[in-house]
Amino acid sequence: MIAFEHVGKRYGGRFDALAHLDFRVRRGEMVFLTGHSGAGKSSLLRLLMRLERPSRGRILVAGHDIDRLHHSQVPFYRRQIGVVFQDHQLLFDRSIYHNVALPLEIQGAEPREAARRARAALDKVGLLHREKALPIELSGGEQQRVGIARAVVNKPALLLADEPTGNLDPQLSADIMSLFEDFHRIGTTVMVASHDLALIARLRHRTLRLHEGRLVADEEVS
Amino acid sequence: MSREAPARRGAQTQRPSSGGRWRSWLRHHRAMALDSARRLLRHPLSSLLTMLAIAIALILPAGLWLTLDGARLIDTQLDESATLTVYLEQGVGGAEAGRIEEALAAQEGVTNARLISAAEGMVEFQQALGLEDALARLPDNPLPASVVIRPDDPSPSAVKRLAGGLEDMAGVDEVRLDLAWLERLGQLAELGRRAGLGLAVLFGLGVLLVVGNTIRLAVENRRQEIEVVTLIGATHAFVRRPFLYSGAWYGLGGGMLAGLLLSLGGDWLATPVAALAASYGAGFALPGLGLAGSATLLGCSTLLGWLGAWIAVSRHLAQIRPR
Ligand SMILES: Nc1ncnc2c1ncn2[C@@H]1O[C@H](COP(=O)(O)OP(=O)(O)O)[C@@H](O)[C@H]1O
Ligand SMILES: [Mg+2]
Repeated sequence: MIAFEHVGKRYGGRFDALAHLDFRVRRGEMVFLTGHSGAGKSSLLRLLMRLERPSRGRILVAGHDIDRLHHSQVPFYRRQIGVVFQDHQLLFDRSIYHNVALPLEIQGAEPREAARRARAALDKVGLLHREKALPIELSGGEQQRVGIARAVVNKPALLLADEPTGNLDPQLSADIMSLFEDFHRIGTTVMVASHDLALIARLRHRTLRLHEGRLVADEEVS
Repeated sequence: MSREAPARRGAQTQRPSSGGRWRSWLRHHRAMALDSARRLLRHPLSSLLTMLAIAIALILPAGLWLTLDGARLIDTQLDESATLTVYLEQGVGGAEAGRIEEALAAQEGVTNARLISAAEGMVEFQQALGLEDALARLPDNPLPASVVIRPDDPSPSAVKRLAGGLEDMAGVDEVRLDLAWLERLGQLAELGRRAGLGLAVLFGLGVLLVVGNTIRLAVENRRQEIEVVTLIGATHAFVRRPFLYSGAWYGLGGGMLAGLLLSLGGDWLATPVAALAASYGAGFALPGLGLAGSATLLGCSTLLGWLGAWIAVSRHLAQIRPR
């Protein structure tokens, strides 16, 4: 599903945020990305979302070199990836329902179909009863679940999350992670960046460890 | 609970048919047109002020255009009344004057000719100057008889040619044509047309700036939203659309205000303009915009608003795009 081939990312012409990255992620796999703050986790995910482009090497997603995408194709590429942000990036001027339905609106989905899918995604994260609420009326953990519902409403083949539990207490963090495991279980490729080592160790998935932009460990768990 | 859970098939299932894409495109246009109108209405005062600024920028060129339109009407009136005056030699008697009048009327290029005898000329002169008493005391009439000629072709060059031919006729002293001021009026109209065009370009730019600045602020206010929708796969067209509609609404509103103010202003000026025209013996009224004029004004203003928004959003998107 994902292949990094000798990928490096240099910011400002002198500082290597990522260097010599070489790894593959199989379709349907669940992978954690760890490392200290500043190790390059967010940079790696931004490369995958094509918010940044690699300074060297290539990145293949589903067999396509994403650096070769024409900029007019990038939106269509992004629609195939679900992304969960640490600060959830919800739109505060519209209801939970409309936040979750946003990707479908962007794709021009038929309204009735969009409503059905948005409600299903909200149901999956256990927030269907709050669909009319505004994001501001929800707790941090609930807001993050809305962010997840929005990320999966498209049924993406690839789900990326950057520190999705960064601001949550341990119990809520575990709940969020188990949601990601649910998606992994039904075949979605999931990549979660997190520095919550204790939680990661408990969940027993493959873990990529970054240190100063280099891949220092790739621990498979059987 | 998980009947709608993500499937392995992923995104391949989401390509709509081309008919469906067309429908969804229309749907989004409709939604954005309404949404941007609602956003404008949510801040009625500031929206109105923006539209007023646009209207003011539109009024000057549109008003000038209307005035020129009116001047064109005068132009044709004047063309119709373009005449030559043929002064006969002093001492040409009544009978001979009548023969000359007939000869002139028979000339090619002459529509009709009317004789004004020396006595009639004197009466007109006295009436025009109000010098009845002084002139009445003159021992004999110093004015020659004259023939007023209406030419077939009222254009200055044709009238000049005709005059040249008439001057050589027996009994004709002098041919007068009042072309200088006709030409001057034509030049004035040309000046007005160019000034109008220049103003229209200048003030059109003004509208672009007004709308551009308003939309720039709107984009700034919705920056987070733009970033988010870009992150989840919105195309530039999608992001631009609501702002383009806002710009078009501003333009349309401004154009409507401009039309309203122009017609109010026209009513306000109508009385003095009519009085002024009457004092020159001309029937001139400021023309209204009319249906075609209103449509042109609204079309131009809407287009300008749309264009201003397009420029502002495009400039901003380049900055916001998370590259
Ligand atoms: N846009 C950028 N410009 C310059 N340096 C950056 C940029 N983004 C990240 N960095 C730097 O790259 C390094 C890796 O950052 P990041 O990927 O955010 O790490 P992490 O998410 O693991 O904390 C950091 O030293 C950070 O300062
Ligand atoms: Mg980070």
